[in-house]
Amino acid sequence: MPIKNRFAETHAEITGWRRHLHQIPELQFDLFETSKFVEERLRSFGITDITTGVAKTGIVAVIKGKTDTAGRVIGLRADMDALPIHEQTGLEYASQTPGKMHACGHDGHTAMLLGAAQYLAETRNFDGTAVLIFQPAEEGGGGGQVMVQEGLMDRWGIQEVYGMHNMPGLAAGEFAIRSGPLLAATDEFVITITGQGGHAAAPHEAIDPNVAAAHVILGLQSIASRFVDPLGHVVVSVCALQSDTEAFNVIPQTVHMRGTVRTLDGKVRDLAQEKLLKIVTATADAHGCVAETDYVRGYPVTVNADENTRFAAEAAASVAGSVITDTPPIMAGEDFAYMLEACPGAYIMVGNGEEGATVHHPAYDFDDDAIPAGCSWFAEMIEQRMPAA
Amino acid sequence: MPVKNRFAELHDDITAWRRDIHENPEILFETHRTSALVAQKLKEFGCDEIVEGIGRTGVVAVIKGRSTASGKVIGLRADMDALPIHEQTGLEYASKTDGAMHACGHDGHTAMLLGAARYLAETRNFDGTAVIIFQPAEEGGGGGREMCEDGMMDRWGIQEVYGMHNWPGQPVGSFAIRPGAFFAATDQFDIAIEGTGGHAAKPHETADPTVMGSQIVMALQTITSRNADPVDQIVVSVTSFETSSNAFNVIPQRVHMKGTVRTMSKEMRALAEKRLIAICEGIATTMGGAADVTYHRGYPVMVNSDAQTDFAAEVAKSVSGQCNDAPLVMGGEDFAYMLEERPGAYILVGNGDTAMVHHPEYNFNDEAIPAGCSWWAEIVEQRMPAS
Repeated sequence: MPIKNRFAETHAEITGWRRHLHQIPELQFDLFETSKFVEERLRSFGITDITTGVAKTGIVAVIKGKTDTAGRVIGLRADMDALPIHEQTGLEYASQTPGKMHACGHDGHTAMLLGAAQYLAETRNFDGTAVLIFQPAEEGGGGGQVMVQEGLMDRWGIQEVYGMHNMPGLAAGEFAIRSGPLLAATDEFVITITGQGGHAAAPHEAIDPNVAAAHVILGLQSIASRFVDPLGHVVVSVCALQSDTEAFNVIPQTVHMRGTVRTLDGKVRDLAQEKLLKIVTATADAHGCVAETDYVRGYPVTVNADENTRFAAEAAASVAGSVITDTPPIMAGEDFAYMLEACPGAYIMVGNGEEGATVHHPAYDFDDDAIPAGCSWFAEMIEQRMPAA
Repeated sequence: MPVKNRFAELHDDITAWRRDIHENPEILFETHRTSALVAQKLKEFGCDEIVEGIGRTGVVAVIKGRSTASGKVIGLRADMDALPIHEQTGLEYASKTDGAMHACGHDGHTAMLLGAARYLAETRNFDGTAVIIFQPAEEGGGGGREMCEDGMMDRWGIQEVYGMHNWPGQPVGSFAIRPGAFFAATDQFDIAIEGTGGHAAKPHETADPTVMGSQIVMALQTITSRNADPVDQIVVSVTSFETSSNAFNVIPQRVHMKGTVRTMSKEMRALAEKRLIAICEGIATTMGGAADVTYHRGYPVMVNSDAQTDFAAEVAKSVSGQCNDAPLVMGGEDFAYMLEERPGAYILVGNGDTAMVHHPEYNFNDEAIPAGCSWWAEIVEQRMPAS
């Protein structure tokens, strides 16, 4: 049971949708053109149960199978939003909006789920209900969380939920998955260190927050190297540092730092937060400065349920012939984590080709060759989990 | 097929051997008494061949099955050496030697393998050859490496090799194993930082190696936090830091640091070595000094072969009903050298709720003996079934 023949026929059409979406990237929750396009396509497939405006611009569409004897309901989710990146691909269908770009392949995710919707609406060869979820604001906005908070799972009675992301470096159309933690919890911190500004020629009359900040950065390295079990996983990165002056001869009054903490386990997450707060506060104090830390917990760990991972892997193997079932965890975050917290399910990676830029790079592009495999997997999840009676 | 009845009968004997070895701990390659005792017992059991002096004080014995038509040869290995720790157990049979102690349970490993040898020599209920390996100097001396360098694998035609370690915190007599990388590569480094010493009141006339060393300790943290893939495993620890002067008013000329690097793959090991040397030399140079780094590669990563791990787990299940998935261990294990030469597997046997290994209150749990001995015997009988 390889790629479904129907997707060979619709490949060009789906590619057309994908490239159209690529040209009209929109950010966060403001996906007005994108969601309008998705809604129009869904209506053209003959789907009538469509709810728009979920989490502002999210869409939920329902496709009933030929029968519904067992009351089974399965959710399939794609993300629709782009990134604030200036595209440098030179493609014919490159972004028409400077500073916005589909650099994470959500254009491809959306097009593939549309392709699967078209097929499922045509064939309805299953016993139950497929709920198609198009979410906004995956890139840092928590659109998935908002959809869940608005009652997504209960309102549509979703019993299992599945999602997919493209993966540069893996051959197009191949699949990779793992049971348990797959993507990291992504927390953010903002640190303000206040010293006492002064003349750079009289450091002894000032309290230099730059030096305190440098010690803080070095101290934070010990979270990964000393505090967390080497068998655990953590990333602590200070990504931005700004002193409040750009002068050559002024010791600044304050320094601002911001960064991220990535973990794959709740206890490690707690430990990293605790140590970060302590290191920042105590180190600043040791240098006569005062630190304020705003630690914001972002997306939780994306945890694939064991049983659903097995189902997802079986569907992938039936499409691609084989599937990698022990792909290493990825320290990036994924908003789908909220849906997996609310409902058992699994998230799978589909190959975006062995060559080519990685996601979030201005030269990245979704590989349209992955479309038939991706569409087939979505369709198989429905047909295998809710086989026609 | 649970624990073999014969080991219930032999349990007291084997316990007595274990406690005798416990009372007489010997360190590294100096396992003269222990090796002699082992060789004596093996002779009493009627082994077909006993060779001493492999890997200096190691002992190798051969037990042939009723038939050897299969041509199969399987190695079983135990370690015999103790640790330079002052025992604080208060046991009747505590160490009689100050500053030496069987704090890692090698007394138990040796006694269990002796028990299995006795049973195998009595019954010979297999088709092939069992090679029984007792090694010295597991605790940092590389006794396993020396036995391999003495040509042990080829000399006895060993095709597969198995090892066992007791594990505190795991229910007594239960088993745990994992395929692939299991115990870490254990490297050591020695860093000598040469600055310019001087009077502590005139730091500007010196190049202070203590400050250089401090910067280096901080920068070494970045091997884990910045260089290594967070999905991989690594430990870099500076364990010793000494200035060449103890005075209150002298900036020392030299600083000496020591430590260890633990990794689970060749790639991580190479990365750690390269970064460690670059960081030390770069920072010392930047601050007007010079670093001389000696990086000594110790035990390699101990890697269990897939097929033999599956087999070892099946055998463990037949003995104690189940076999758990073991976590990665950042400790090192000299058996890695034997597993580099031959396919095989290393298994953990539960030591119950005891102090951790290398602790002065640790003691091997004699209740694990029947399970451990049975596992050894079953490895031979199931891998080389009697025709």
